Amino acid sequence: MIRVRLHGRGGHGVKTAGRIVGSAAFHAGFHGQDAPVYGAERRGAAVASYAWIDRGPIRERGVIARPDLIVIADETLLADPASGVLAGAETATALFVNTDRVEALALPDSLRSRVIAADLTSRTLAALGRAAALSASLGAAAVRLLGAVPLDALLQAIRDELTAIGVAPTELGKNEQLARDVFALLQPLAFADTGKSLSLAAQSAPAASERTGGSMAQVGYEGVMRGTPSILSGGNSAARHTGAWRVQRPVIDPALCSRCGLCFVQCPDGVVSLDAEGYPVIDYDHCKGCLLCQRVCPVGAIHEERETRAW
Amino acid sequence: MVDGGMRKLLTGNAAAAWGARMARVDYVPAFPITPQTEIIELLSDWFGDGTLRGKFVTLDSEHSMLTAAGAAAAAGVRVFTATSSQGLVYGLELLYTLAGWRVPLVLVNVSRGLSAPITLGPDHNDVLAARDTGFLQLHAETCQEVFDFILMAYRLAESPAVSVPVLVNLDGFQLSFTREAVELPSAEQAGRFLGPFQPLHPGFRHSRPVAQGVAVLDGATYSYFRYQLHRAVENALTEFPRVAAEFAETFGRSYSPLELYRADDAELILVMIGSYATKAKAAVDRWRAAGRRVGLARLRLVRPLPVAELRRALAGRRAVGVLDQNLAPGLGGILFQEVAGAVAGMANGPAVMRSFVGGLGGKDVSDDEFDHLLSTLEAARPEDPPADVELLMTQSEWLQVARSLTVAGKEGGDHAGSS
Ligand code: SF4
Ligand code: SF4
Repeated sequence: MIRVRLHGRGGHGVKTAGRIVGSAAFHAGFHGQDAPVYGAERRGAAVASYAWIDRGPIRERGVIARPDLIVIADETLLADPASGVLAGAETATALFVNTDRVEALALPDSLRSRVIAADLTSRTLAALGRAAALSASLGAAAVRLLGAVPLDALLQAIRDELTAIGVAPTELGKNEQLARDVFALLQPLAFADTGKSLSLAAQSAPAASERTGGSMAQVGYEGVMRGTPSILSGGNSAARHTGAWRVQRPVIDPALCSRCGLCFVQCPDGVVSLDAEGYPVIDYDHCKGCLLCQRVCPVGAIHEERETRAW
Repeated sequence: MVDGGMRKLLTGNAAAAWGARMARVDYVPAFPITPQTEIIELLSDWFGDGTLRGKFVTLDSEHSMLTAAGAAAAAGVRVFTATSSQGLVYGLELLYTLAGWRVPLVLVNVSRGLSAPITLGPDHNDVLAARDTGFLQLHAETCQEVFDFILMAYRLAESPAVSVPVLVNLDGFQLSFTREAVELPSAEQAGRFLGPFQPLHPGFRHSRPVAQGVAVLDGATYSYFRYQLHRAVENALTEFPRVAAEFAETFGRSYSPLELYRADDAELILVMIGSYATKAKAAVDRWRAAGRRVGLARLRLVRPLPVAELRRALAGRRAVGVLDQNLAPGLGGILFQEVAGAVAGMANGPAVMRSFVGGLGGKDVSDDEFDHLLSTLEAARPEDPPADVELLMTQSEWLQVARSLTVAGKEGGDHAGSS
């Protein structure tokens, strides 16, 4: 079995990319299964999706703890341990990262040799005019790396999955061309297909000789203060830099600002403060980029800029 | 539009919606809740574009939704509805009422852990809270079963010997949002299997006044009606194989109330329900490959509980483990109690039984945990002192929990995790 885990941020198309992998495998005659992982996340938050491919029925459910291929849509996720991008990476055959600066990635040396990098964002921007519409390019990268799934199955999967989410027929051709380009750009990984099962060359298989289970926790009674879902440490949400979710950055031009304070009052996340002279200052660590401030500014002092690194 | 047969990648939710579509349901009262909402969204599209004829109605709560569902079924139309978790327990009062009305509707529950703490991941505390309502309960392992069970559910519900509502359960995320290949029959095939809805109740016509769902204030008559309900639910044990045989004849897939996987010569048997059984089968295969005689017994039917099948399946085994994806505080695993009750008093019952609780709130049950469970069964001896229910949690998960507790300002547990 081949397990693919895709990571990105809400809005990247990671769920659809996972579906493209599952569909392409299905069209190529394999058993495919796919699932997105999402909960209370919103646009910009870390999300993941899974795809399983094999010759026979898939005997897995839920999380992919030991992926064979990890596909990362946004390199900034590597700096966020909570996103779990590298969980189980020790035994993965390869990590694909969408980036134009692979040397600068925050990666342990043990994984570096297994990284395959390509700048899908620029290609997607050029092909579709939108940098974040990554489903086709990510799906194509994953399918190409799998090796066993041919191009026509990929293209059919892209047509099916993009149509299902309401992508206009006029856009389908552009997405297909983008997928062809990505398919041509990458080299497939080595895989084994016995006709009964499909696999990538594992880096190191976990020992399977004696199965007694790993070490289990013994959880005892710990008292009501500890054992009740409450948060006793106030103020720690500041430690979570939700600014990484931002697609557009609001930028204030002090030369135009009349210091009316509307952006300060209206920011839904309370991340605008006023300096000693009454000028608004945005806390970019926590500004989520909703641009409400831009909308309410009566003098047009706030303009938007595309985030280059978050996307 | 006429549906032809096809094989499609579908989520469990989409499979459930297709089940209702193929059953040509007349009435769908709806209220959204994660992870079920995709079901009613699809049905709403199909009612909207004319694929389904009838009425799709949004209600103000699950309580009203179930009231509307029961009333419509009593009026004589084929009814489908769906909910999950908090929605199911909010409507719990009505589940008892609808079963008491003996109305043959189908309710899909997409399992999700109950609050508090509020969560989105699946476990079976929601659906098992409804186990004594008088609804039949079918539990799916795959998206295919979700679809198939809905068709079978209508046959069971509408059978004169049964005539009670049926709950079909699928696990949130692991099935609801997971796509896998599902064989969809043609509309003609599905129609042939189901037949038109033939209401057993008199309906509501002004030319023929009747009262349904009346009050009964004396205990003896109340006892009579409740016992009738019990017998009706039990009748599903006889009805199930008939419906399943016809299903197999029509669609080529055959279902028993208790699925046995590599159990023939197994010394150790794991009993469970739901989608994690897929992972349990992989664990059985791993252990079989290492020459160990282990097998799986998965309940598809939880109400009525197929006691005779359980007794046959568990007779003479060296050890039986029950994996409950639920936790009844002060009791342990719910299914463990039911399975232990089923085999109680057998001369050749299983020599040892062990209770495990795992996968709460969508927690993974990893290969390691299945291995630990099977190892525990393998080592268990009848002369051992009675063992408590064991919570399955890996050491690394426990460390993660402990880290979160620290972040939340909860210092020092009375017990540290130990292996
Ligand atoms: S973009 Fe939104 S979050 Fe950021 S400062 Fe403006 S209003 Fe606040
Ligand atoms: S709303 Fe515009 S003008 Fe008013 S304080 Fe903010 S930036 Fe300045």
